[in-house]
Amino acid sequence: MPRITVNDVEREVSASPDTPLLYVLRNELDVMTPKFGCGLAQCGACSVLLDGEEVRACITPIEAVAGKAVTTVDGLPARWAKQRGLSPQQAAGKLHPVQQAWIEEQVPQCGICQFGMMIKITELLEQNAKPSDADIKAALTTSGPSPHLCRCGSYAAILEGAQRAAKLMAQGAEA
Amino acid sequence: MNAGEILSVHEARVSRRGFLGSGGALAVVIGLHPSLAGQALAAEAVQVDATRLPSWIEIAADNAVTIRTGKCDFGQSSIYTAYRQIVAEELGVSIDAMKTVISGDTDTTPEGGGTFGLLRSAQNLRKVAAITREAALELASQTLGVARSALSVKDGVISGGGKSVTYGQLVAGQDLQLAIKVSGDLNAPFGLRVEGNPPFKPRSEYTIIGKPVTNPSLEPKMSGKAKWIGDVKLPGMLHARVIHPATLGSTLVSAGKLDSAQFPGARVVTVGNLLAVVSPNEWEAVQAAQQVGGETQWSEWAGLPESGQLFDHMRNAIDWAEYPARPGRANKGDAKGVKGARTLIAAYGMPFQKHAPISPMVSVGDVRPDGSVTLHTISQNPQHLRRMIARMLVTGEDKVVVKTYPGSGHYGRSNGGSAGSEDEAVILSRELKRPVRVQWMRADDMQWSTQSSASVADIRIELGDDGRIAAYEAAHRGPPMQDDRLVGAMLAGLPVIDAPSAETTYGFQSGLVNIADTWVYAKVDNVFEQGHGAGQIGQKASPIGVGLRDHSMRTPIQFQQNCPRELAISEAAALAGKDALQFRLDHVTDPRFTAVLERLRKESGWDTRPSPAPAARSTGKAVVRGRGVSIMLRDNGYWACAAHIAVTPDGGEVKVERVTIVADVGVVINPLQLRRQIQAGCLMGVSQALFEEVTFDKGAITSTDWAGYPILTMQDMPELRVVIASDPTTDEYGQGSESANALAAPAIAAAFHDATGKPIRRLPLRPEHVAAALSV
Repeated sequence: MPRITVNDVEREVSASPDTPLLYVLRNELDVMTPKFGCGLAQCGACSVLLDGEEVRACITPIEAVAGKAVTTVDGLPARWAKQRGLSPQQAAGKLHPVQQAWIEEQVPQCGICQFGMMIKITELLEQNAKPSDADIKAALTTSGPSPHLCRCGSYAAILEGAQRAAKLMAQGAEA
Repeated sequence: MNAGEILSVHEARVSRRGFLGSGGALAVVIGLHPSLAGQALAAEAVQVDATRLPSWIEIAADNAVTIRTGKCDFGQSSIYTAYRQIVAEELGVSIDAMKTVISGDTDTTPEGGGTFGLLRSAQNLRKVAAITREAALELASQTLGVARSALSVKDGVISGGGKSVTYGQLVAGQDLQLAIKVSGDLNAPFGLRVEGNPPFKPRSEYTIIGKPVTNPSLEPKMSGKAKWIGDVKLPGMLHARVIHPATLGSTLVSAGKLDSAQFPGARVVTVGNLLAVVSPNEWEAVQAAQQVGGETQWSEWAGLPESGQLFDHMRNAIDWAEYPARPGRANKGDAKGVKGARTLIAAYGMPFQKHAPISPMVSVGDVRPDGSVTLHTISQNPQHLRRMIARMLVTGEDKVVVKTYPGSGHYGRSNGGSAGSEDEAVILSRELKRPVRVQWMRADDMQWSTQSSASVADIRIELGDDGRIAAYEAAHRGPPMQDDRLVGAMLAGLPVIDAPSAETTYGFQSGLVNIADTWVYAKVDNVFEQGHGAGQIGQKASPIGVGLRDHSMRTPIQFQQNCPRELAISEAAALAGKDALQFRLDHVTDPRFTAVLERLRKESGWDTRPSPAPAARSTGKAVVRGRGVSIMLRDNGYWACAAHIAVTPDGGEVKVERVTIVADVGVVINPLQLRRQIQAGCLMGVSQALFEEVTFDKGAITSTDWAGYPILTMQDMPELRVVIASDPTTDEYGQGSESANALAAPAIAAAFHDATGKPIRRLPLRPEHVAAALSV
């Protein structure tokens, strides 16, 4: 039985090793924020962090994630709390700054792509705390296997959301 | 008065159904029977009794207000923001009192109708709220012993004559019902309409409309708590993948044999030409469907023109005289007879485009042994989808419940009910006697969904000696706007409504093409516009009746007609040696257009001069720049747009550098959400202008994924400037979530002409089409 670590919890799964991570997360582990978009690594709706690097869960077999840490949007609040050394009481009810920024800036239209967008921006901000607009556009366009696509056209809002997230993270880091 | 009736107001009646020990509520329900005869189509099915529907508005003893709407949210947030604001404003309660919005599900919402023109539809709830307020004032008058004329309401408190009572206190301990009068047919495409003419609060007294209320549905979505349609799991549920035919006209010759050793849990299901593989394990279903699909034989069919020949086909092969032409409402004078000093004659082409949701359609069908059906899906028109499903199963509408969830936006594709997968899930569930989840793969969604119809336009503009338009003549030709037939039902050989034709009149299911683009150049004396319809391309010749099915998509048909019109106006301005923005000002009379155009000139940094630009060039590796303008009137909204672009003639690359939009949509319900809607719509429009074209060979759609159907990426996002400049004197509610997507294309294409000196008369501005335009 393969064992994989998702959002800090080691889980045993029954799926065959070649099963894409996306199907295992959603159907076996009930981790639902990575969404099915294309199954071809062309859109980014299924993105997760693998040891802090964004990957496309729709084409990543679970055998490739053994011994590595998978983080989804469901796990972002705990990831932030851990990075900040917050106690469970301090962390209770708090979202990750990227999620918070997405709500404050009212970023989504339909929202189906935003889980992948938030994962990609989390990866970016963990590596580059003060990105330029060009850095954000590059992260969401040229840095991965494909651009992260938003059909509703929320890119302008995403840019504002990412910049707000950077500010919230900086404030959180000082606090 | 009827038993229990305690007052009547604006054709609505309040009755007390009883006294309660605790709690208490006022529920606003449907009183008079809507016409249940409805459309002839409906007579076959058992109707839902609309008088037993859930309430529109409920006010509880703790002052909490619940509203219900048959509309769904697709991300524009209007039902969670604008609808709450409109109801709170009319009731006279705070926005915080608007606790709950229940939407979409056919068993818990009252009105039906499609999710489009949301602010027009909001007039239902607005009226219900105004009637409720009037009824509450009457009740308060009785309760307080104060004359109605002395009472007013603010922040949920009705007061006057030194006394006051809250909405909650009015209803406490009682079971009150306010029955309102409606007309229409619940499960018809347009749903119910609230009757009566209650007084509305004047705009000058608004305190909640116009505020940037945030969308309460975002926190549960972004935190991961919300259940999306793709997340629905039912006990015993099977995962299905449908193996759609090889072409849009193929029938099943032989289904591939399942490799049971490799896929022990999977099973093949065939219903007519509907072929699927199911398994309790989704990944097994995906793989087994690939294996079976690879070995399945379909009949050959080649009934489409290739996409490269589409416009030739539309111009030469289709008999447009088969369907009656539809004249434009603005037609006047003798456009055909006028000969000017100079003439523009131009032919334009708009390709098929895709709604292209990021997540392909997914639904869960649950047909139970007693024949009752629950369909879990996302739909812009759940009540009408219910009617279509009941019709398919030849059962009563009362047997079918449609439950809706958040899901991928699809921009109009399901405003007649179905976007794809719903019917297939129900058919397979009935066949297998278990809940079945059908998830379309990317290629299913690109190949088997409907598309935004293609269009060709022939435009002639006569310029007078003064350089003004003396006559405007346009013929717009295209296949129908909308086909709401269920494609899975067609494959399975089950009943569906008629295909759109010259004779069909059901819902939007018409083959006739109207002039959808409102004429705005009132100073032109001679105007002749005509719409020409035909059947859907390939559909009649297809043994399965499919072909290239069409469906309305954001700013439907108006986009297909406005883009050529606005391009032609810009070309005519160039021919006249006039600035394109000033040329428009010279031909409009409506002061709201004058205002948005003047504002656009300022906000966009428009350089007033004729096109092409002095430095225009159509060859070379050096970048040339240009700017273009477009305007549109839609749903009481006045729009103007300027695009600044850069073109590299060698290689044909077009980069949109800056887009400015000025919008006067009348009363702005929520400036925050409106701004987001306009930004997003505008970027979708840039995408449509630059990249989007459905490609197909003689049998099938060949743009099957994001490589074949590219859309705008963040890297290609222009600088965006959105200016909301509403006329303060109008009381009209305009629309914000459409129009914006239609403005970019004609402005960008006009900017291309400005930059290069060469007109481009077709979308999208991909390198191959740009190269063709530059080589003329």
